Amino acid sequence: MEKYLFVALFAPIVGSLFSLLFTARKKNVITALVTSGLLLFSFVSSLTLLFAVHDGLVLHVKLMDWISAGSLNLPFGFIVDNVSVIMMVTVTLVSSVVNIYSMGYMAHDKGYNRFFTYISAFVFSMLILVMSDNFVGLFIGWEGVGLCSYLLIGFWYEKESASWAGNEAFIMNRVADLGMLMGLFLIYWQFGTFSYEEVFAHVGSVNVGVVTTIGLLLFIGAMGKSAQFPFHTWLADAMEGPTPVSALIHAATMVTAGVYLVIRASDLFMLVPEVGHIIATLGTFVAVFAASMALVNRDLKRIIAYSTLSQLGYMFVAAGLGAYWIALFHLMTHAFFKSLLFLGAGNIMHAMDDELDIKKMGGLFGAMPYTAILMAVASVALCGVYPFAGFFSKDAILAAAFNGGNFYIWFALFIGAGMTAFYSFRLIMLVFFGDKVYKKLGFHPHETYPFVLWALLPLGILSTVAGFFEKPFEEFVTKVLDKYEFSMAHSTELGLIFLTSGFVILVIVATIYKYAKGGFSKQLETMPLFLLLKNQYYIPKLYEVAIFKPYYALSRFAWKQIDVRIIDFSVDMIAKILYRSGQQSRKMQSGNLSDMLRWMVVGIVILLAIAIFYRPMV
Amino acid sequence: MEHILSIIVFFPLVAVFFGFVISKESIKTFGITVAVVEFLLSIVLWIGFDTSNAGFQFVEYFPLISQFGVSYYLGVDGISLFLVILSTFMTLISLIGLNIKKDIKNLVITILFLEMTLVGVFLSLDMILFYIFWELSLIPMLYIIGAWGSGQRVYAAIKFFLYTFAGSALMLVGILYLGYQYFLATGTWSFSVPDWHLLVLPFNMQLWLFGAFFLAFAVKVPMFPFHTWLPYAHGQAPTIGSVLLAAVMLKMGTYAFIRFSLPLFPDASYYFLYPVATIAIIMVIYAAMVAYAQEDMKQVIAYSSISHMGIIIIGTFAMNAEGLTGAIFLMLSHGIVSGALFMLVGVIYDRRHTKMINEFGGLATVMPRYAAIFGVMMMAAVGLPLTIGFVGEFLSLLGFYRVSWLMTLFAGTGIILGAVYMLVLFKKAFFGKVTKDENAELKDLDKREFTALIPLVALVVILGVYPKPILSTIDMSVKKMINLMEKKALLPSTKEFLIRVNHTGGKK
Repeated sequence: MEKYLFVALFAPIVGSLFSLLFTARKKNVITALVTSGLLLFSFVSSLTLLFAVHDGLVLHVKLMDWISAGSLNLPFGFIVDNVSVIMMVTVTLVSSVVNIYSMGYMAHDKGYNRFFTYISAFVFSMLILVMSDNFVGLFIGWEGVGLCSYLLIGFWYEKESASWAGNEAFIMNRVADLGMLMGLFLIYWQFGTFSYEEVFAHVGSVNVGVVTTIGLLLFIGAMGKSAQFPFHTWLADAMEGPTPVSALIHAATMVTAGVYLVIRASDLFMLVPEVGHIIATLGTFVAVFAASMALVNRDLKRIIAYSTLSQLGYMFVAAGLGAYWIALFHLMTHAFFKSLLFLGAGNIMHAMDDELDIKKMGGLFGAMPYTAILMAVASVALCGVYPFAGFFSKDAILAAAFNGGNFYIWFALFIGAGMTAFYSFRLIMLVFFGDKVYKKLGFHPHETYPFVLWALLPLGILSTVAGFFEKPFEEFVTKVLDKYEFSMAHSTELGLIFLTSGFVILVIVATIYKYAKGGFSKQLETMPLFLLLKNQYYIPKLYEVAIFKPYYALSRFAWKQIDVRIIDFSVDMIAKILYRSGQQSRKMQSGNLSDMLRWMVVGIVILLAIAIFYRPMV
Repeated sequence: MEHILSIIVFFPLVAVFFGFVISKESIKTFGITVAVVEFLLSIVLWIGFDTSNAGFQFVEYFPLISQFGVSYYLGVDGISLFLVILSTFMTLISLIGLNIKKDIKNLVITILFLEMTLVGVFLSLDMILFYIFWELSLIPMLYIIGAWGSGQRVYAAIKFFLYTFAGSALMLVGILYLGYQYFLATGTWSFSVPDWHLLVLPFNMQLWLFGAFFLAFAVKVPMFPFHTWLPYAHGQAPTIGSVLLAAVMLKMGTYAFIRFSLPLFPDASYYFLYPVATIAIIMVIYAAMVAYAQEDMKQVIAYSSISHMGIIIIGTFAMNAEGLTGAIFLMLSHGIVSGALFMLVGVIYDRRHTKMINEFGGLATVMPRYAAIFGVMMMAAVGLPLTIGFVGEFLSLLGFYRVSWLMTLFAGTGIILGAVYMLVLFKKAFFGKVTKDENAELKDLDKREFTALIPLVALVVILGVYPKPILSTIDMSVKKMINLMEKKALLPSTKEFLIRVNHTGGKK
């Protein structure tokens, strides 16, 4: 079975290197075909591995040694078990779809070949991230996906905002990575190894304080990659990248890496429930916080980006509360419907000449019915309406919160679910129904290529039916992950389900009704709360004023004042003093005999004084 | 193989004499040929090197002034082997990339002379010999900056020379004093490093001697606040001068710390650990900030060198095999990456005769290959895993974590601040629209530039993915040195420290 592992892992990088050869040349469809083919190949191999793992196989492969120094010995090692194989299948599936979709989306872009190089490189990094058998291997993938994300956000590098957003994403992730690196260092000096297997085998015998610290440091890394508060601003700005990138990297796969890390290290996090509680609390906060910003935003992609943030919060709640399999389940279903939502948004953007303001659309249903249906499916799945995928995964998270007695968390998530329903259907209504504003603005929208729609179909189907695999999924992954026991009565659980579903459906209906009637009045938009939300709680502004600008000013100060004015000036001053004293004392050597005699007397006096008064230490 | 070290040291010198009679037209070819032979010789050295022997190999000993114990003493171990190869390799690469027409004959001769001194520094086991090479290396660099530089080149050259020369004065006193101490202890004079390793020095004397050597090394590295010669030197030096200065000459300082300061003065090294580490942290953060504020592309790279050298110091003073091996590897990787970056800046300077960042913008559209190579080097500079830059940085910080987690956290901010100045530089120069007409027609890399840069790109990736052959050889000699330190340490606290930082495992 090892060959499947290698095919799954290395097929994408082969594709990436292949299309790298074409980057400096004109658009060539062969790059897209080859990369798509290899990604599908990787997907099929992952699927084969999934069935093999289901039959009880666990693959553990060690390649060559990578770094060895001191007592450190770090090989490239890969593991395919019940957790990583789920990620592999999800990643390769979504990336194959996105790659095929991009053949249509990027068809007229001058960076066509470059785009496919990056996407395949991303998939390779992501697979390294999920398949590695040790923390540093994960970190390789972690940084690799960061690089690809940077390259793809700034894909249209001629746009100032795009290259700025790329830098922001990379640097902000680096801040969090430092925390993660510190966690890795601590792991090494505690356990003498980075391998998951050995670390988790001994984690129980280590001082709890140390485990807590490791957990917190790793979580800081996870916060960066998964854009949790306060590192969340890069994700919304990352929407500068091409939309397929947003679907793949900034919704379905990379941003869930933080959740994956917590799940992967669940053996460690289980021992320190306090850290889990912090994770869950922060997740809850982000779930509501991000959803609130989505309520008022008018940017098609940013709304979905905030929604992603919010859903990542849900996943962290599950992971923090110890319901690791539920977190993984939501991660998977979310990957399906969120990428579908983004790709649908991409269709709209193409139809609308890259217009993103949803208030300028309206009534697009007539022009692009298939996209509308797919997005509606994705939205109901996101809201968690029975029988769509989100219903099962999200309800399980709410149930887990209630079950653990964390009623505040439950209630916040409950409200969050309502907000999700509102912003999702606000988007659907404003884009697809109501007045055809776009006509006045002179747009001529049209449905996208049929093959693109066909490529989206698998995601549509999975968004609809994936929820029914809940039981087999649980059984499958809990062979590795801890089981999560629901202790509450079945009737309570059912009651909760009805309560949440009823609430969500109520909000959906109300939203549809309200927007069918023409929406909210303009007056609301002057309310302070509205402005607060619209400006993202002024946090980007705050970062700009409190961090970026002072750092630049301080840097200028360090250079102009400290380096030039003080340090270098002192160095030159010493040189000048030496030079000047030489210049001055040169006058002594005037050649005038009486001057010389006077100096000689001075010299004799000094020597005498020394001879008389100086007593060397004995 | 018997005299291979002498051959490696003096082959360039012999070539220099031939260089005088070679015509101006063929001198560059001659220089490259010599550099290729020299590089191959160093590779032969690597092949012949016994990777299971941690001690000095290919030793050549020949007394020069026997009554004072001055000798011609060469030897190579895992610590110096790759620095020698780095020197010969970077000399070769920089000669390939050479693009100066003015007085080219003198320039090539100077470079070859410089190569001899660099190799000599890394191979000398006699302190007097070491000192001679150490100081001799200043002369060709003085000449390169002063004669082929730009702007305030004479000021920069003299500043460079006087500053580093003055720094070394105390070292000479220290060397003579140590030779005398050896005489007092054994009755014979000796300046050979392996002899000195047997010497057990009282704690107070260690402190003074550490200080005397420290200044010389610190100016060379350069450590804060003795660094201000560096931006001037880089700012005015021609590309080839900057490449060799950053890639190899700076490493002389950190090499000397590892070769002399740590094993000769283990207790003093431990005693001064925290002050030195504090300086290193200041270097990392402060230089990264100053780099961010620069308006000149070359100065960004120059200050980034200081920042990276800070990490090397941190790794060195971790005093465990992880940190030291990482520090030496980081010297190699920084040599390759900073050398490449200076060459890349030279490429654009040749075309536009300016290095100011705001003169550019949108270069990625005009010169895509150039942008791609610059991008790879940038990623190596910020320490992306699977590039050469990650290995050394990771190991250095990992090693120092055992000493102090808080200081590691501060030093680790280098990975953030490094990304800040590099990415911002890249964005300003390469992204955006082409706003200046002069930039619209720039030619992408030509054959000469490709030939020089492609090997560097290849190394960045290959050694990033498979650094083990190099790491294990370094590690072997580093471990031997740590053993020596442990044996020689007088104070129990030093011994305890060395044992603690060299073993994993924590509180139960």
